[in-house]
Amino acid sequence: MVVAVGSVMALPDDARAQQQTAVHEEYEDVQMPPGFQVMVNELEGPVFADAKGRTLYEWPHMGLRNGETGDIKGSKSQCSDVVSRETAGFQTPWPPGLLLPDLDTRPSCAKAWPPVLAPENATPIGSWTIVPRTDGTKQWAFDGYPLYTSMLDKQPGDVNGGTKHALVGEGPAVRIPVGPPPVIPSQFAVVQTSTGRMLTTADGFAVYSLDGDRLDKSTCEGSCLASWEPVLAPQSAQPRGEWAITERSPGIRQWVFRSKPLYMRAYEKHYRVIHSLQGSDVPGWHNVYTLPAPSPPGEFTVQDALAGQVLADSRGRTIYIYRCGDDSIDQLACDHPDTTQALRFVVCGHGDPERCLETFPPVLAAPDAKSDNYIWTTIDIDPKTGHRAAPDQPGALHVWAYRDRPIYTYVGDEKPGDIKGNGWGEETGARNGFKAFWLRDDFGGNAG
Amino acid sequence: MSYRLRLLPLCIAFASLVTVSAHAGDTQDVVRNRSIGYVMTNREWAVYTTAARTECPHGINAVGPREWFKAQFPNDGTTRTYLDTAMTFEAEVWAPSGKADRRFPLYQAEGNISYGLNLDGKIGRNDFTSPEGEKGIDNQLYRAIGCLVAYRDPGALNTSKYMQDFNFSRVVIEITGVDSLTNDDDVTLTTYRGLDSLTVDAGGSGFLPRGTERVDERFGKELIQHFHGRIKNGILETEAADVSFAMTWGLSDVTSFTIRGLRWRLKLTPDSAEGIMAGYADVDNFYFFLNKVLTTHLQTYYQLSSLALYPTLRQLADGYPDPKTGRNTAISSALTVKMKQVFIQHAAQETASNDGEHQEARQTKAEASAAQ
Repeated sequence: MVVAVGSVMALPDDARAQQQTAVHEEYEDVQMPPGFQVMVNELEGPVFADAKGRTLYEWPHMGLRNGETGDIKGSKSQCSDVVSRETAGFQTPWPPGLLLPDLDTRPSCAKAWPPVLAPENATPIGSWTIVPRTDGTKQWAFDGYPLYTSMLDKQPGDVNGGTKHALVGEGPAVRIPVGPPPVIPSQFAVVQTSTGRMLTTADGFAVYSLDGDRLDKSTCEGSCLASWEPVLAPQSAQPRGEWAITERSPGIRQWVFRSKPLYMRAYEKHYRVIHSLQGSDVPGWHNVYTLPAPSPPGEFTVQDALAGQVLADSRGRTIYIYRCGDDSIDQLACDHPDTTQALRFVVCGHGDPERCLETFPPVLAAPDAKSDNYIWTTIDIDPKTGHRAAPDQPGALHVWAYRDRPIYTYVGDEKPGDIKGNGWGEETGARNGFKAFWLRDDFGGNAG
Repeated sequence: MSYRLRLLPLCIAFASLVTVSAHAGDTQDVVRNRSIGYVMTNREWAVYTTAARTECPHGINAVGPREWFKAQFPNDGTTRTYLDTAMTFEAEVWAPSGKADRRFPLYQAEGNISYGLNLDGKIGRNDFTSPEGEKGIDNQLYRAIGCLVAYRDPGALNTSKYMQDFNFSRVVIEITGVDSLTNDDDVTLTTYRGLDSLTVDAGGSGFLPRGTERVDERFGKELIQHFHGRIKNGILETEAADVSFAMTWGLSDVTSFTIRGLRWRLKLTPDSAEGIMAGYADVDNFYFFLNKVLTTHLQTYYQLSSLALYPTLRQLADGYPDPKTGRNTAISSALTVKMKQVFIQHAAQETASNDGEHQEARQTKAEASAAQ
């Protein structure tokens, strides 16, 4: 178990280093080969990184509509250094063999996802193994999956290549950051959600804490217990790190996390509501996170919408995230300003960047806008290309970004809470399109 | 994420069977505080079909995205780009011109018989006569979708299935001010989203009355609408109001569709309500709703091209002219609906019964109280 968390290496950016040390989530002290480390990302929690601080990702095999791609557990990498030129035909009804966009700048899979190479004399350790690559080199694998870094990660600690947040819908075969497991008793799980790394029971029921409770004292008694069920610890359970146990009555032991006794909500167990935020509607009760999500910019708002709550701009207009993975065997990302923008322009502007600025305008940031974290940032975008603007480029748009990607509003939303742009694009917005920034979804898994 | 175990209603089903047999047809039992609730179990766009398909003299439409691609880009060895082929289709989907396009033909339904209601109170040249002989039926949407397989075969689009499966799409109506389910000239029908699964029978495919539906007055607020109506000889007819219905095909596509000037005509019994709801479907909303829930790949399976449909919807639109352009923005339409009686629980409702264990408002209040 690692108690003090954050980066274990000096970061070139002091502010980021300070911020990193403030990010706190305990993780298991797993064995690692020499030269690797664990970094705690503000959004994704503990992730493995190489000596330069580059986050490690895996590419799990995934069945798609008309085929499959990704790495099969225990097998060698499917990500080659040959530039894919044609579509794979994974998406109904389009056939394979069509030339992909922006071929002159298209990277190979291995350039977009550099394999984490192992030295000749490397030896397996723990869950780390070594798999051969077709060019004769060796690649590190974790838990049977070959490991990569991402060309989208620019600074140590960046996790822009992928997310642990399970995405709803028929999206591409995505890369997922890999890290050590969190320090939690086996009765619990940590779920990546829009609001943070949520602590749940192993069955997925949200775990709650109550104002007024202390490490050694639960104040939920009597009628309270009809609605809130203490999460009981077995007799064999032992305190560890941030986890403690309080004895409610002789022989009745309740789990405590960060000095707060833990509960499940009886209502949610009864109705089988998992990953719920509904209990936090009750005054005094709160969801529990091992790591809350970084705060959006202060000017943003939260609005009630058809399925729950969405993030909105200062005027209440719903925020949208653009998601895209191309139809190549490599399933390269196309939702980042450093990747092709051609597919976004198709669905938001009939191929016309200027039209896109009208239908899904990026959320502009004030020139002096600041964020207190590295998940929410501001970037400068060239409005004609959608790519990052050159320094001091005239006409560049200064916009808010989430995970280094611009965020948008939709011109058709007329009032706070409207989500008319939700699901806009291919495959309900999961493949090449726009999804509302769901903070809470009481009906589906769009918020995690 | 929330979901309901399918087992739960199954477990309830047996007990409900006993209840139903004891109370079936008992108005006094289901009308409480002069109100009765129903939950929607089936909803389909109303399409009149004949075995001989005489309403589709030009045939059934069979050009979906796949057929379009093959026609436009034959497999002749030509090197083509993704952007100049498949993505031209998607570009049109999300920014349609609205003009008829020979590449996307659509055969319309013809004839003079259709389901629906007389929405404008007139008997016009393009109106239909209902199968029961009622004249002046407004349902121009039928012309547009009547020769599409997806809409001709009830259940093909799974509109009822996904409404049944997902609480996000649950539709509940509450009729208040009820003195009699047979004749009452002043009642109010209110639409809500329900929060509970349907009560299914032991076989798992039929639905039972006497369930309970909590109504969503927070996130479902925009789905709440009130309709004034009257009951005559057991038939409820309402005045018109605009209303939206939440719908999803799989919870990735949470969205809604809007019908303007919607009216209800329902045959009421203590156990069920069945009939039609008709109004003017907002054309753009209908079109983009279709694309968001039935993506290009699903439209392919149905040989349905929303790109073919859109100009036809525009052409046939017959209501709600744009104040600036004068162009109609909505198209007359009708849906058939089936419902089962349910007992409705409002969030703020304090019931006299002792069933608060499952009543969120009571529970939340107790939780808050206990926490203080």
